[in-house]
Amino acid sequence: MSPELWISILAGAIALSAPLVLAGVGEGFVERAGRINLGIEGMMILGAFMGVYVASSAGPMAGLLAGAVTGLVLAILMNTVVHRLHANEIVVGLAITMLGLGLSTYLFQLWIPSGETNISVETVPRWPIPLLADIPFVGRILFAQSPIVYATVLVAVAAWAVMRFTRFGLQIRAVGADPVAATLRGVRTRTVGSSSLLIGGSLAGLAGAVITVGTIGSFTPGITAGRGYIVLAIVIMGRSTPVGIALGALLFAFLQSFSLLAQSTGLQLPSEIYQTLPYVVTLIVLVISSRSRLRSVLKKARLA
Amino acid sequence: MNRIRELDHRRWAITAGVVLVVLAVAALLILFAGADPLVGLRGLIEGISSSPYRVGELLVGAVPIAIVALTLIPALRAGVFSVGAEGQIIFGAIFATGATLWLADVFGPDLPAPAFWVVGLIAGAVGGGLFALLPALLAVRWQVNEILSTLLLNYVAAGFLGWTLRTWLASPEDTATPQSEQLPEAAALPSLIPGTRAHWGILLVVIIAIGFMLWRRSAASTRVAVFASRPKLALRLGATRSGTIYFTMLVSGAGAGLVGWIQVAGVNERLFSSVTGGVGFSGLAVALLGGLLPIGIVAAALFFSALTAGAVGMQSATGTIPSSIAEVIKSVLLLGVASIAAYQRRPAAVVAPSDAAAAVDDQPADETEHVR
Repeated sequence: MSPELWISILAGAIALSAPLVLAGVGEGFVERAGRINLGIEGMMILGAFMGVYVASSAGPMAGLLAGAVTGLVLAILMNTVVHRLHANEIVVGLAITMLGLGLSTYLFQLWIPSGETNISVETVPRWPIPLLADIPFVGRILFAQSPIVYATVLVAVAAWAVMRFTRFGLQIRAVGADPVAATLRGVRTRTVGSSSLLIGGSLAGLAGAVITVGTIGSFTPGITAGRGYIVLAIVIMGRSTPVGIALGALLFAFLQSFSLLAQSTGLQLPSEIYQTLPYVVTLIVLVISSRSRLRSVLKKARLA
Repeated sequence: MNRIRELDHRRWAITAGVVLVVLAVAALLILFAGADPLVGLRGLIEGISSSPYRVGELLVGAVPIAIVALTLIPALRAGVFSVGAEGQIIFGAIFATGATLWLADVFGPDLPAPAFWVVGLIAGAVGGGLFALLPALLAVRWQVNEILSTLLLNYVAAGFLGWTLRTWLASPEDTATPQSEQLPEAAALPSLIPGTRAHWGILLVVIIAIGFMLWRRSAASTRVAVFASRPKLALRLGATRSGTIYFTMLVSGAGAGLVGWIQVAGVNERLFSSVTGGVGFSGLAVALLGGLLPIGIVAAALFFSALTAGAVGMQSATGTIPSSIAEVIKSVLLLGVASIAAYQRRPAAVVAPSDAAAAVDDQPADETEHVR
């Protein structure tokens, strides 16, 4: 394989990882607070649709905003059912995923009835950083990306700082580690849980819009293809820390980018192997990280 | 006694509220599409009942959903959240198709039909069960969350099916969509109602439902339910963690695999890449909707299938409403039922994820609720 191909694969991997990192950082908040959002897939896909829909008349930036708002609305719905009505988080999460998948298909078919050609919107243009983008090899991989990628890095850093240095971050970690102790020390457990879910939801919706408005430019039903579930796996692999999540997202995105581009080269393997490789590797890494997490839990238990 | 009645009142109020919300959402969606809700309703009813064929389609759609949901009862009662029915259906269908075609190859296509059925049924169940063993093993040995592993494995199964239909099970004819060779005529499930596609698989649903009604009265069922809320107590009753996970996942996997065989032998008579058609996820929703009770599940499966069939009728009656409206209504329904189940406070219906259950090992689930 030529260096040109490797540059495309790696640059593509970074672009593909942006939505995973965004949604993953959001879900990191949720899981640090001791909850889980199984509705990510639904929030992403409805965000992806609303993003394209709004971008078709108001431009890509408005589309991204619409995606985030969509995710927020679904998260508010989920939060109401889980916290006010005390429904089971997993069931509600799956229902939200079904809702997002169904509603995005429904609205899309109303917007573009079958038989008509799909509408494409203008995507966010690339933004090569002067000088840095001219560095051979690395420059074209890292610094000739869309502004969304740079913004994603900022979001991840901001999430890390919030979690590490702010009162809110401390409260999230306290609630996740021991809700009873946190309550006794005056932390409003429910408020903290709700806010983290709303943050997670908006970022998931934004991530969906990034997939469509950021790179592809159009929506098709089922476009997220399980990436919401991948995000959940990545967050567990990355132990809910922004750095770990970013690494997990890069691994998955690399395999995805590799599978998209490597098929055109000399490696004559069945295309299905390339398509399932990202999922298989995610599962393997999940097994390895679950195992080491188990070990650390056991070690703690023995010391106590 | 008074308190129980009061709780009952609230439950009825919430149930009525959920029904109203679902109807309102449906009406809003129809209005949003620029159609008349009453015309839509007429289309829905026509879509289900205008001809024997339509009624047959309703039953054909309900069979796989009901079987997946029924065989999920033990897993959900144990708090084991298997979301892998889609993948297990695929493996069941591959095994069943492979075994049936092999049988026809070796002994000729004129074998008596029951021989084909028995082999297809067993092969399907074995295929689905084997594919369910993998996430069970990962959960038992390395504490891998079964929700995530089963979700990821669904994609692996879909990839394997795509490869299978291109290579070792591919039809020798040149076809546009990937598919397997047609099953021999004797291997197809005969139709139950003449003139429709409704097949004998309906009988299987009845048998499985009765089986689970009996199972729910058994000690094993109680042990599984105890495992969900108090694993240590369950251990004293004889239900180990590994035993419970293997047993419940195997049952749901075999059931899903069975569905794979039914979809191939009863509906299409060939294996297509669209063999699951979202039945696995619908089955999970129906199991929860039916409150993990066999009768409730059969009713909920019929209802889900009616919604799907009715939405198609709605689409043709109004011309504007996409049939995907059914999926939206189903999800709103599931949201509502999750809220009702929370009020019921039935341990089996308010299923806890397995690691949360382990965390409340030493205290009953209710106490932790109060502290929160």
